[in-house]
Amino acid sequence: MAIDARAPGLTRRAVDEVADAGQEPDWLRAHRRAAWDVYEATPNPERTDEEWRRTDLRWLRWESLTPASPLDSLDRVPSTAPAAALSPSVTMLISAGGARVIDISPEARAAGVVALDLAEAARTQPALVRERLSTTAVTPEQGKFQALNAALWQGGALVHVPRGAVLAQPILVVTCDDAALRQPHLLASLGAGAQAAIVEWWADAETDAPALVNGATELFADSGSHLTYTHVQGLSSGTRSILSQRALVRRDATFTSTNVTVGGRFHKARVEASLTEPGASAVMNGAFRLGSRQFVDHHTTQGHLATDGTSDLLFAGVLDGRARSVYAGTIVVDPKAQRTNAYQNNRNLLLNSGTRADSIPRLEIMADDVRCTHGATTSTLEPSHLYYLCSRGLSESQARELIVEGYFEAVLDRVPHEGVRDVLRGVLTAPASTRDGATGI
Amino acid sequence: MHNGSGADALVIQDLHVSVDGMPILKGIDLHVPKGEVHALMGPNGSGKSTLANTLMGHPAFEVTGGSVTFKGQDILELATDERARLGMFMAFQYPSEITGVRVSNFLRMALNAQREEEISAMEFRRLMMEKMRLLRMDMKFASRYLNEGFSGGEKKRNEILQMAVLQPELAILDETDSGLDIDALRIVADGVNTLRGADMATLVITHYQRLLNYIVPDVVHVLIDGRIARTGDKQLALELDESGYEAMTAAQEA
Repeated sequence: MAIDARAPGLTRRAVDEVADAGQEPDWLRAHRRAAWDVYEATPNPERTDEEWRRTDLRWLRWESLTPASPLDSLDRVPSTAPAAALSPSVTMLISAGGARVIDISPEARAAGVVALDLAEAARTQPALVRERLSTTAVTPEQGKFQALNAALWQGGALVHVPRGAVLAQPILVVTCDDAALRQPHLLASLGAGAQAAIVEWWADAETDAPALVNGATELFADSGSHLTYTHVQGLSSGTRSILSQRALVRRDATFTSTNVTVGGRFHKARVEASLTEPGASAVMNGAFRLGSRQFVDHHTTQGHLATDGTSDLLFAGVLDGRARSVYAGTIVVDPKAQRTNAYQNNRNLLLNSGTRADSIPRLEIMADDVRCTHGATTSTLEPSHLYYLCSRGLSESQARELIVEGYFEAVLDRVPHEGVRDVLRGVLTAPASTRDGATGI
Repeated sequence: MHNGSGADALVIQDLHVSVDGMPILKGIDLHVPKGEVHALMGPNGSGKSTLANTLMGHPAFEVTGGSVTFKGQDILELATDERARLGMFMAFQYPSEITGVRVSNFLRMALNAQREEEISAMEFRRLMMEKMRLLRMDMKFASRYLNEGFSGGEKKRNEILQMAVLQPELAILDETDSGLDIDALRIVADGVNTLRGADMATLVITHYQRLLNYIVPDVVHVLIDGRIARTGDKQLALELDESGYEAMTAAQEA
């Protein structure tokens, strides 16, 4: 596994080195090489591309990016990820060195839950990996960053909950590292009729050095399954991140995603759910709380590809300091997707006049028997609300905090798992000292 | 009388208040002793709500002269929350709707803000249940979002619930009767009457005499055009009900 002496830079050779380090099967190496070709052929994102129009990438020096040297794998959950509060059924840790399971409950074991390092899974469980890894949900053709992840992911995890299995406690997957470039890849699937909650948590090893996380998350909800997926971006103040997350939801399955962003200095996320078969439904939640000069860009897609699908999205943000956010949400309804019911809502609360929130809804509707609506609101703190709360003895900062916490409840109410909900509430209401530390750039 | 041990809880002397440079209160003198209920009546625009909000420290109201002390302490320099922690409370005419904030969580936070030691979850629950029973409120109320979707009557009852839990030494009721039907009015008045006692001074602000049938005041003041035009006992309220404010305005001008 010693690839410490690697030459700097992203190169085709680096692709082979990563494949060597993981003792990956030939088909996976070929996958990576093909993705590399796409990466090389794909131009860098420009401000002239609609997706990047409001998102400044000038800080990015492609030539200075270098794959990580694998650390010793972590053996404990970083203190920033409250594993104990979740009482997970499975706890996995991902770093550049790979993924490892540090805890699995007897119930999860008995249910046949598969939790493996992705390179290992490619060798031992190809049936769960080969058809799906970077082939259908997040693919190299989707863009430069997606191609880069497909070619050079380091530290991947496979989670599979077999057909019919029902897990009460969530599966926790924590990505934590101090490498300057991290490219985690989570491939998670639920078999038909299975029910599970998966919480993916991005944290930093204790460092404030500049770093880039380019992660991909591919989610598969088979027929009749119920997948509750949560992503927490709790990176530290020097870290920038790019997330490509997409779920494919099959017949009569229900998918709930919740993306919570509080950390890092730059976060760009593609968050997508595609309803690929009739009767599928998606609830997509987002909550972000920003301060200082943090920047967050969410591009969401509610993809209706089959009949009788429902999707319901709510993203709510609170901005303080000189933070900026971009929300762009698209509802796509395929010509086949009759009787679609889709709703999209983005709300922003601006605590400071130095903040800015852009909200761009888009509808691409190609079927005629559909119901699609969207809404967006941006508001500021109501002085009369502060006065009311202060008149009961709360200090102004307590009153503001209470209003902000209340603002997120509309999102948290939609998280179906109580334990997850409580943990997210804690993430969004972290004490000011921690929050300032996390955003003080 | 300014050492906190005397009879006067609230002492207002020659208070002048402007809003946007326009004088609204033009020299108010008012003493409300501990244990007494004073009613402040007056027509629309006379300055009743201005007085209430000035006492509570609303930033829109500018004090241009005079003094206000509570328990012997000058409060005009204190922020709203400091006044509240000193034992002042105002039941709002139009309470704010705050989404996502549950009544019980908010009240527990408010109670802890004025206590040295945090109240235990169990003790708080017991206190809430006792006070909600007093105001004949459904227990589900505690977990609803603060005033969100409340009816007018529910909002007012919620104000009195907060008063009952926080147990202030000075309660200012700003038009608590407005928008209440007779049953709700009785319940609110019963709540106030249960709480009135040797320790609490109460200032009931109202346009109508009706509320004073249920919360019987010790003293009645009439506010006309930013000044106290008359002070008397509860008979004064009845008189006003018959002759109206206009007669008094005329008498004042004569």
